[in-house]
Amino acid sequence: MRKTVLFLWTVLLGAGISYAQNKQLLYDFYEIPQSLLLNPGVKTPYKWHTGIPFLSGFSVQAGTSGITVNDLFANDGIDFTTKFREKVINGMRKNDEFGGSGTIELFNVGFRRRNRPSDYISFGMYGEGFIAQYWPEDLAVLAFEGNVDNMNRRFSLNHIASQGEAVNVFHFGLNRRLNNKWTIGARAKIYSSVFEFKSANNDGYFVTTQGENNVLRNTLVADVTMRTSGVQEILDILDEDTNTTQADLANLLLRRSLLGGNLGLGFDFGFTRSLGRNSYITASLLDVGFIYHTNAIKNYTLKGAASNEGIEIVLPEDLTNFNNEIWQELVDDIEEQIPFDNNEESYLSLRPIKLNMSFRYNFGEPRERTRNCACGVEPITTSQNIDYVNAVGGQLFMMNRARGPQTALTAFYQRRFGNLLALKTTYTIDKYTFSNIGLGLSLQTGPLNFYILGDNLLGYSNVPDSSYASLQFGFNIISWNGN
Amino acid sequence: MKRLLSSLVYLFLVFSCAEEQDFDQFDDLSIEPTVASSIFYFESDEETINAFGTGGFYEEVFTFEAFSDPNIADRVIDGTITYQLENTTSKSLGLLIEFLDQDGNVLDSEPFVVDEEPAPLLERQVAYGESGKSLDILRNTTNIRVSGENLGDATSQSSQNEPRIILRSSAAFRVRLR
Repeated sequence: MRKTVLFLWTVLLGAGISYAQNKQLLYDFYEIPQSLLLNPGVKTPYKWHTGIPFLSGFSVQAGTSGITVNDLFANDGIDFTTKFREKVINGMRKNDEFGGSGTIELFNVGFRRRNRPSDYISFGMYGEGFIAQYWPEDLAVLAFEGNVDNMNRRFSLNHIASQGEAVNVFHFGLNRRLNNKWTIGARAKIYSSVFEFKSANNDGYFVTTQGENNVLRNTLVADVTMRTSGVQEILDILDEDTNTTQADLANLLLRRSLLGGNLGLGFDFGFTRSLGRNSYITASLLDVGFIYHTNAIKNYTLKGAASNEGIEIVLPEDLTNFNNEIWQELVDDIEEQIPFDNNEESYLSLRPIKLNMSFRYNFGEPRERTRNCACGVEPITTSQNIDYVNAVGGQLFMMNRARGPQTALTAFYQRRFGNLLALKTTYTIDKYTFSNIGLGLSLQTGPLNFYILGDNLLGYSNVPDSSYASLQFGFNIISWNGN
Repeated sequence: MKRLLSSLVYLFLVFSCAEEQDFDQFDDLSIEPTVASSIFYFESDEETINAFGTGGFYEEVFTFEAFSDPNIADRVIDGTITYQLENTTSKSLGLLIEFLDQDGNVLDSEPFVVDEEPAPLLERQVAYGESGKSLDILRNTTNIRVSGENLGDATSQSSQNEPRIILRSSAAFRVRLR
């Protein structure tokens, strides 16, 4: 039971860390092969690449909107309940959210076709997960203040919006350079869902008004659904709390990761279009697909409408056939009018589609590398697609969410230092922060590529006061074009 | 992998800063909403009262477990029950509300006497908790007995439209959620 509670807290509080799947540092940073996962039509200056298994791509993102850890937990001597009322209850709105996301790449391989060198094929497997919890503004006010001072206020159940999942993704992509202007790409994905829960598009309200007969009338109109798949299996194992719990859980997660869960299909599309010698635009549409949930499903619903003015005794009608269990009858009536049910009906969940777009302008003349590292695998040269010394540009990220699209706008500057190092710095504005400065580097030593990308660096001056943070890193072995 | 992650965490800790945080403050969080609901409603027309003659015209016991429910009983801090009594009949009437435990013992009672019309609306607020009656009365209440008594005659008829006696009641209680 304790483990179950721990799991639920992890899920719910994990949601306290914002969820944004924007990877603006990695996007179009094509010295890093993982940029193919953000745009299958990105430039591919590689002959082949292989990620170091389990180490090629690791990323975590976390943050909040509307509040930071420091807002609540700073050791400032202010009464905590007062801070909670001001910062959380009165300060947060229904569009504020908590969440987090993470990705771990298990393997990633790519190679250029010999008989058609314009094609670059890549495939691999990665696991990813996210949790997003919108702040249930109205229900929080109701829970904190009650209904006495909120007569006639409709507390909306639409504020309930929560989503989370863990999914393993098998992917296969083709990148094709059509001509000097166009590079296009597509990637097919098979999703193996480990677990998912989602409650969105809820409707209804709770309101207290003056009663028609009695003093007060409480009314609840509800159309609330929480869909889950895989969650109950995990909770059941955690509830066992035996010596084999860890092993059982590992087996379950492994089985559901390796196509033993609910399966889905999706596609990524993207392109790079040159606008001249030094500038180009890119765009990609990711995760156009679905998962069809057919097993380990447990959906919860609360649907109906009821009004309550307490027990009523009206004479002469109630002189005969009076039911002494009138209280229980009232409770039963309400439960019948608004049943809390569960079912195991299959459902389809659409993937959170993401759109990336960018404009980039390169400047500065690249210099030829003059010395071979004699490392057996050819080092990068400037004779192929690494075509810049400096680059500036802008990027747009959009993602469909429970409350409409989430958008982020990024300006970036990129700089190469010979064949060894490439740096990218970004300034991003989104709903979490207007001061997100990120820095990424790709380091090439012989065939070994290491990259590390960090977001919202200003936030590290006081981590608890930061509303957003992300970190990505990985190792690859790359053989470059043109050697 | 573990070593790499440890190194990154170490670097993160070395190069990042953090104001002092006190996460134990969470233990001080107090959530005590005041929730309100109607309790019960009683109504009788004058014709029915007359039909029973003078004296008692109604007595009934019914279950009432709103306050004895552990979710409420263990959390309630204080509150008020409000009664409103309205009489448009031509006779003085008495109403008695008794709170009973599961053995039928009377824990508390609330008697009302209201004059014949044109009697003003009688409103009474009964506090429970530190500044009022014991909350244990409500915590142990599983039944309520309502008794009605005709203190006047059994023949007169009020000139009011649809003469009747009405008792309304509601409760507003502060509960400790955390």
